[in-house]
Amino acid sequence: MTSTFISTSALSEATRSSLMKLQTKLAQAQKEVATGRLADVGLSLGFKAGQAVSLRQEHARLQSITETNGLVASRLDATQAALQSLVDAAQSFQSELLGARNSDTGPKIIQGQARTALSAFADTLNTAFNGASLFAGINADVRPITDYNGQPPPANAQAVATAFASAFGVSQSDPAVFSISDANMQAFLDGPFAGLFDPAGWGSSWSAASDQNVKSRISTNELIETSVNANDAAFRKLASAYTMLADLGTDKLNQSAFQAVVDTAARTVSEAVRGISELQSSLGTAQERVEHANGRMSIQIDIMAHHIGVLEGVDPYEASNRLAGLLAQVETAYAMTARIQKLSLLDYLPIA
Amino acid sequence: MTLSIGLDAALSGLATTSDQTSVVSRNVARAGEPGASRKIANLVTLPGGGVKLASITRVSNAALYDKLLGATSDAGARQAIADALNRLDGTVNDPELDASPAALVGKLADAMQRYAAAPQDAAAARSAVAAASDLAQALNDATRATQQLRAEADADIAGSVDRVNTLLAQFATVNSEIVKGTRQGADVTDYLDQRDQILAGIAEEVGVRTVSRGDNDMAVYTDSGVTLFDVRPRAVGFDRTLQFMPTTSGNAVYIDGVPVAGGAGPMLAGSGRLTGLVAVRDGVAVTYQNQLDEIARGLIQTFAESDQSATPTLPDVPGLFTYAGAPAMPPGGSVLTGLAGTIRVSASVDPAQGGNAARLRDGGISGNPAYLYNPAGASGYTQRLEQLLDRLNAPMAFDAAAQAAPSGTVAGFASSSVAWLQEARKSAEADNEYKTTLKDRASEALSKATGVNLDEEMAMLLELERSYQASTKLVSTIDNMLGALLQVAG
Repeated sequence: MTSTFISTSALSEATRSSLMKLQTKLAQAQKEVATGRLADVGLSLGFKAGQAVSLRQEHARLQSITETNGLVASRLDATQAALQSLVDAAQSFQSELLGARNSDTGPKIIQGQARTALSAFADTLNTAFNGASLFAGINADVRPITDYNGQPPPANAQAVATAFASAFGVSQSDPAVFSISDANMQAFLDGPFAGLFDPAGWGSSWSAASDQNVKSRISTNELIETSVNANDAAFRKLASAYTMLADLGTDKLNQSAFQAVVDTAARTVSEAVRGISELQSSLGTAQERVEHANGRMSIQIDIMAHHIGVLEGVDPYEASNRLAGLLAQVETAYAMTARIQKLSLLDYLPIA
Repeated sequence: MTLSIGLDAALSGLATTSDQTSVVSRNVARAGEPGASRKIANLVTLPGGGVKLASITRVSNAALYDKLLGATSDAGARQAIADALNRLDGTVNDPELDASPAALVGKLADAMQRYAAAPQDAAAARSAVAAASDLAQALNDATRATQQLRAEADADIAGSVDRVNTLLAQFATVNSEIVKGTRQGADVTDYLDQRDQILAGIAEEVGVRTVSRGDNDMAVYTDSGVTLFDVRPRAVGFDRTLQFMPTTSGNAVYIDGVPVAGGAGPMLAGSGRLTGLVAVRDGVAVTYQNQLDEIARGLIQTFAESDQSATPTLPDVPGLFTYAGAPAMPPGGSVLTGLAGTIRVSASVDPAQGGNAARLRDGGISGNPAYLYNPAGASGYTQRLEQLLDRLNAPMAFDAAAQAAPSGTVAGFASSSVAWLQEARKSAEADNEYKTTLKDRASEALSKATGVNLDEEMAMLLELERSYQASTKLVSTIDNMLGALLQVAG
């Protein structure tokens, strides 16, 4: 008899506990179907949860670098546009120079154009992007170039005036400049005047930029220079060419001295244009690297998202199948419980 | 005079049937009680044909009962550990929520990356410092949660010890009733059931072994052999610690001066909730705290500032992250217990505390100009930020006592801490489920073997009813016969 014996409480306990287990599983399956992810990621993955966390970290890191690369790329675009406008202005100035060289009214006209070009030059190099000066190196919060035409005359204009006066004994506006010989003018241009545009002279009166260019991290381990600064030789040359014609008494010089100035300026401008083109191509390289890094990272981001999905996700078909199966099981269990509870000898005993 | 003998026999039948009915009704009354066993009325035939209730015994199965006790203790220990790990999981949560220290280290690196891309941007600086504050706060919170868990485990140990003491006192009372009753030949089956239930209660708290002796007497030992009850109950002693700091270590549980849980010795109990709680208080929670402390140490060291003078002479000092022991650096390579509880963002760099967030870019967080990386204050300076990002990506050594990755980046170590926790959780949960299933099976098996089946009792009742009816019929028949005899005689 004992071999087939079962107690009433064991019978009801068995149905109760199996129902509880089914319901727990049901809640899990329901959550998995709704979210497409494991109900309790940590519990299901165990030590692999660390991997999931690392992947998510790496994923977020690449995304934030891609995001900052967007900023870097637009800064590079803005820089390129500014450089291109400098080149365009320099080239049109150059052609004006050739025309002015042998014309009587040339000096007057070219002087005005040079002054305008000088202001535009300062404006362009003072371009700010997203609150940071593009050409100031790491001194991002300063306007790097002093406007030559400012009033009262700023340091750079004063320095030129002082150098001119000490070389020729007269000011630029003095009619006596007509007597300056072409040889003397050439010596001045190559000597004291050039000295104003060497790095020391440039730094003291023209530029507040830092020599240090901005570096940007464009991928987890690539750190590249993504700016050019206003202290580059190309900019100094361009400024010196404009200044020569703007402020060395151009309209009052005799023909040969004027031609010496024009020739020097033409030479300097073409050197400057060459230099700026080099800067453009090096920035172009940086743009390309940013683009490549973005391409690489977007592939990595996709791969990581996929891996995260593989780790944390559940197959929706499997989960909903499981849910359907569990529902059927629970319903069966309910029906069974009800029938077992109804099963009692008492119902069959004659009530006396 | 055989008619009167027949009457006597019929009357004894009536009496024993009532006794048996009372046993059946006792069984029916307790059908729903999980620990109650089935009682059996044993009858003996009297010389001369009558019948009498000799004794009431219960159906028991010592082997199944012992198995249930063992399974109960095992399940108790696993349950305590699994519960604790589930609580610690609150400090990590679903990876999707990015709430773990590991994810927050990543967020800090991201914020610094954005700051490095726009170093002149004060908002970017503030957001990087805010990310650092979140991280420090998360480590502080996790430390608090871990210590809270230890304090609660300690309180639960105290509760568990109280329960064992109470149950042992009850055990003593019931056991002495059993011994007395057995000697007098009284029905002690209800007391035996009660004693079994008390013992099952004790087994939930601490693993037990029992030794049965004459007169149904029983001695109880822990599974490690320390006496809990032998003739009289032994006092289980424990001093509760009210406040838990990371450096606090809780007290051991003693029985008769011998440590059975916590502390050291050859007599430590092997199972039961007590051992699980002690494992939480002195093992799991301590290891997790070590991991948090190592994350904190990794952060302080990663963000440390070095002397930037032409010939550096000053030692490194804590930078963005600092702690109670600043300006000294925490010792390298080993756990500084409780560091995660005191780590915070230096006030001089935290705008929320009146600091200047740009110091993250320029250095000099400690206030000494010798540690300035960007003395000119160039607003586009990013070298320090890039250096910090590189250092976040550089491997460092961690204390093996933390049981996570022995070397790696801070974020990698934090991830390995998540891995440790979730793996412990997974195996504890699986263990717990297994042991709980074993316990349920043992309890079911015991209930099947010794429990009450209502249908059987009903069938028995029918039988008793018939036998009662037969006996009354006998009495009335004999009465009629005696009456007829008396009429003849009268």
